[in-house]
Amino acid sequence: MRKLTAILLALAMLLSLACAAMAEEPITVTVFRGDPGDQPTDDNKLYKMIEEEFGIKFEIEFLAGDLDETLGTKISGEDYPDLFDGGNSAEKIINAGALIDLMPYISEEKTPNLYNHVKDLLPQLVNENGELFIIPNYGINYNAQIQNACNGPAFFLQKQVLEWAGYPQIKTLNEYFDVIEKFLAANPTDKNGTPYTGFAILCEDWRHFCLINPVQHLMGRPNDGEVIVNVNSGNWETETFIDKPYAKPYYKKLNEEYKKGLINKDTFVMNYDQYIAALSSGTVLGMFDQTWDFGTATQALETAGMYENTFIALPLVYDPEYVDGKVISEQYLNGAVPNKDRGFGISINCEDPERMINLFENLLSDKWQKLLQWGVEGEDYYVENGRMLMTTEQYNNRSDASWQMRNTAKAIWESAPKKQGTQDDGNAWAHSDQPENYFNLMSDYDKAFLSAYGYQKPADFFNAPCTLAPYGEAWQIDKTPIQLDYNDFLAIQDKWLPIIIMSADDAEFDANWAAFVEEITPTAQIYTEFMQAEVLKLVEQATK
Amino acid sequence: MTTAVPKRQKKRRDVVFPFVNGVILCVLMFVTLYPVINTVAISFNDGTDALRGGIELWPRVFSLKAYEALLTDPMIYQAFFISVSRTVITTLLNLVLTSMLAFALSRREYVLRGFITMTMVLTMYVNAGLIPNYLLISKTLKLSKTFWVYIIPTMFSCFNMIVIRTYILGLPEALVESARIDGAGDIRIFWQIIFPLCTPVLATVALFVAVGSWNQWFDTQLYNGGKKYLHTLQYLLKMKLATTTQSMNAAQTSADALKNTTQTTPVTIRCAITVVSALPILLVYPFLQRYFVTGMVLGGVKG
Amino acid sequence: MIGASPQKAPIQARKKKGFFKTLWEQKQLMLMSVPMLLYVFLFNYFPMWGWIAAFEKYNPKLGPFKSKWVGFDNFKWLFNRADFLESIRNTLAMSLINLVFGTLAAILLAILLNEVRTRAFKRTVQTVTYLPHFLSMVIVVGMAQNIFASTGTVNNLLLKTGLIDTPIFWLGEKKLFWGLVGVINIWKEVGWNSIIYISTMTSIDPTLYEAASIDGAGRFRRILHVTLPGIKSTFVVLLIMNIGHLMEAGFEIQYLMGNSQVLEYSQTIDVFVLKYGISSNEYGIATAAGMFKSIVAIILLFSANFIAKKLDEDTLI
Repeated sequence: MRKLTAILLALAMLLSLACAAMAEEPITVTVFRGDPGDQPTDDNKLYKMIEEEFGIKFEIEFLAGDLDETLGTKISGEDYPDLFDGGNSAEKIINAGALIDLMPYISEEKTPNLYNHVKDLLPQLVNENGELFIIPNYGINYNAQIQNACNGPAFFLQKQVLEWAGYPQIKTLNEYFDVIEKFLAANPTDKNGTPYTGFAILCEDWRHFCLINPVQHLMGRPNDGEVIVNVNSGNWETETFIDKPYAKPYYKKLNEEYKKGLINKDTFVMNYDQYIAALSSGTVLGMFDQTWDFGTATQALETAGMYENTFIALPLVYDPEYVDGKVISEQYLNGAVPNKDRGFGISINCEDPERMINLFENLLSDKWQKLLQWGVEGEDYYVENGRMLMTTEQYNNRSDASWQMRNTAKAIWESAPKKQGTQDDGNAWAHSDQPENYFNLMSDYDKAFLSAYGYQKPADFFNAPCTLAPYGEAWQIDKTPIQLDYNDFLAIQDKWLPIIIMSADDAEFDANWAAFVEEITPTAQIYTEFMQAEVLKLVEQATK
Repeated sequence: MTTAVPKRQKKRRDVVFPFVNGVILCVLMFVTLYPVINTVAISFNDGTDALRGGIELWPRVFSLKAYEALLTDPMIYQAFFISVSRTVITTLLNLVLTSMLAFALSRREYVLRGFITMTMVLTMYVNAGLIPNYLLISKTLKLSKTFWVYIIPTMFSCFNMIVIRTYILGLPEALVESARIDGAGDIRIFWQIIFPLCTPVLATVALFVAVGSWNQWFDTQLYNGGKKYLHTLQYLLKMKLATTTQSMNAAQTSADALKNTTQTTPVTIRCAITVVSALPILLVYPFLQRYFVTGMVLGGVKG
Repeated sequence: MIGASPQKAPIQARKKKGFFKTLWEQKQLMLMSVPMLLYVFLFNYFPMWGWIAAFEKYNPKLGPFKSKWVGFDNFKWLFNRADFLESIRNTLAMSLINLVFGTLAAILLAILLNEVRTRAFKRTVQTVTYLPHFLSMVIVVGMAQNIFASTGTVNNLLLKTGLIDTPIFWLGEKKLFWGLVGVINIWKEVGWNSIIYISTMTSIDPTLYEAASIDGAGRFRRILHVTLPGIKSTFVVLLIMNIGHLMEAGFEIQYLMGNSQVLEYSQTIDVFVLKYGISSNEYGIATAAGMFKSIVAIILLFSANFIAKKLDEDTLI
């Protein structure tokens, strides 16, 4: 009898073992990425490790064409891959019911890593029904947030202008244009005889934020897109700023600079390539933009050794004269913003969602995070006195496309939940955030430039990041329900603002401004109402 | 008329016209060649340097980086093979099917001619939109993730059919009549008499179809679903351009964008892609050109 | 249906035999045509159920059979928008410019090439002129934008020759947009579009040229009386087809060349549909616009075909 029990027990164990083994049987997971990307090679180092450890292979589809079009077809045919990243239009697949709710799968016992990853932000990440479809791919920080430079919006100025002026502190709109004017008067052309352009404004397509966004920052707010939210009153009053009287002085200033010849009218019809070409040639002295938007131009200038023509980000505000004598304090940098609804979701077609969750759970472990973000110790980085470091070659490898195809799991890593900020031992989670890496690669010119101001890093020009508002950053709000009005709201600004800036005299300026405000008011109203409701909804959810 | 023109004047005109004509064509050649040479020059230039613009007919900082980025991807040869296969098969199928239909619709006595012609012509003007077409091909016909999705939906084009039909209608009717008297059926007449006579127009249509099929990337995007061994060359090249543009735009931190010296830029990649994808067609072109630039004698049946 | 009368008699004679009997006799012709007929029914006509979406507030989640029916609301919305009406005007204007000047340029080039006697030169010119067809629109537009910039080649040339005092704002002047698009399109496609005429000219019986020469016709008379009649059918058929395509003015070039300053004259129907249809999730509006385009195209096509028939020219249908 005992023997029998033993045999039965053994059999049961074998069976359960077999089951367990079956659950971990090798599978191929289909993946869609809402971004372009390179297919990894068949002998890719990290995918091989993933396959060995988890028995999972990936069949990845990238996006070469238009995202909305592609998602539209996938939704219409319910052709969903197992792991589905809807890119910047993820609302579409969420609204279409393509993704499963992840909440039932995340718990402190079963998935401690994922649970800890999202627990503090959960109220902000879930929707009204308490469902979570996508764990953000970026913006969840561990320990201290690392801010070496301003990576977002700012006014930019060629470093040589500040050098020429004796490194003054430039904090307001007037100071900014004054120094450009003075520099131009003394140096009308560069050393090749090409005339300098004082200020450029990129207006092309979605990059028109260079034209329409600055006013909120001049008023002392971080980037909320096209609205300003009153975060202090407790009522979260939300309004569009472009049609308000306090927007007028900025465009009036631009109009004056246009008349003085600092702004060239070609700037309003320039496309992105031409803009980058102009910046790369070193003849544009200043612009409003976001750092990532012209990274290539910076790169071109550095490659050509024209460090003095690269740009420094400055947090400008209105001079008191423009805002009834009020002194505005700048707040360009914001707290880390979780990239809500961006990243992988698990589709309703996925046969084993639990296994996908377990994969993310495991990839979020410290061991795998180091592998994904830094690579293999000894091969891709080295450790010295507890600091994780890279040689220049190792550092450059990580952004070399064909090296990445062989050695990184970029396609999965980019859309998977990841740790950012600082590790418990003080190293940065992202290899590019590690201060040693950042400063070792900084040019001597830049080091001298910063030390002339007594600064350590470019971010020292800015106030420290503020706490993120409970609604996040308002530009993230999905505008699908009022999309057509929103399009019109933007199109009216695209059309009028250049006309306003190119006004011939004050009377024409005032007339144009009045006409603009009149035309934009109806759509601005619709947009304001919508955004107000959404902001309140988000605040309520976050403070629940 | 002849007697009215003095001999001297006539001779002078014969010298002047070819000269003027030659000059006009040379100017035209220069105007159309400029953008092409410019593209080639940029493709051989250093990526970051090219961002500054101003390159004319010769690279400023010579570099093969753009070609390296395209041609070192191990998948590119597979993709090239897929593209050649699809182009050859699609072109052959199109030539046969389209010219066969064109012949049938050129027969004035064919009773279904009006109806079929009308049905065919309207296909050029009605478009159901992307989604119903997608559902047909991926759901009803289940062609997704197969090679056949490159062939079956593009086997036939009405425009080309009309071009061939017009050509056939221009051929002497007597050819068909005499064959019919000899007792030949329609299929034989088409295959043995008309088809060989259509060489110039078939060469033209082959060019149209081949270029269309070769340049197609959208069907891969829509129907491939991550099967990397079925990627076409154009899709792969399009993806390379997209990733280059992407890595420029979305550099997560400034440090990443700044310190990377090995990067190529969209400006050079775009030009290199143009060269890589147009080159095979340029190489095949002279073989087709023979048939429609050099005149053919049609056998003097006419008149 | 070439309007010559001798053919009419046999057709009528056959008709008397009875439709099905004739059909049976023509089974080989049917074998060559009916499979293609079925093919287009499947690939071109069957998907047209999708037009239902034009009458719906289309929701991709619900699909075409469950989305909310809105009747003609999508059409009303479109035609109440001034910028949609503008985009129709722009589409027609730009495609008309393209049709007229593009066709003329292509025929002219084909004729000039046909007159070249040196074979190597002829082939070289022909090859070189069609090359720009393979350049992507992004590259071509990029070049055009540099050439036409305030400090670009064109303005420099005009300033130097004293034709103007201040640079012309080519890219920001809305009235100039159609013309610029026309020039760029012709530049890019003239060689490619001439291929079809060149190949047609090869089918012209050389004895006709000889006969004309013997009659003493000069070069221009030969072109007028032999070459042009030789390409007439192709010209007429292509013309009818392209008139049907007048609602397609292209998309890429306007999208790339356009900017907020010229939008009023640059936006075509397709650009409008991208912005307010596809990118805004309004499939209903996009489908309605597409359906409108198709219907206008068919009307244009039949009108052109009808006129050709009246003029006793070759027809398409």
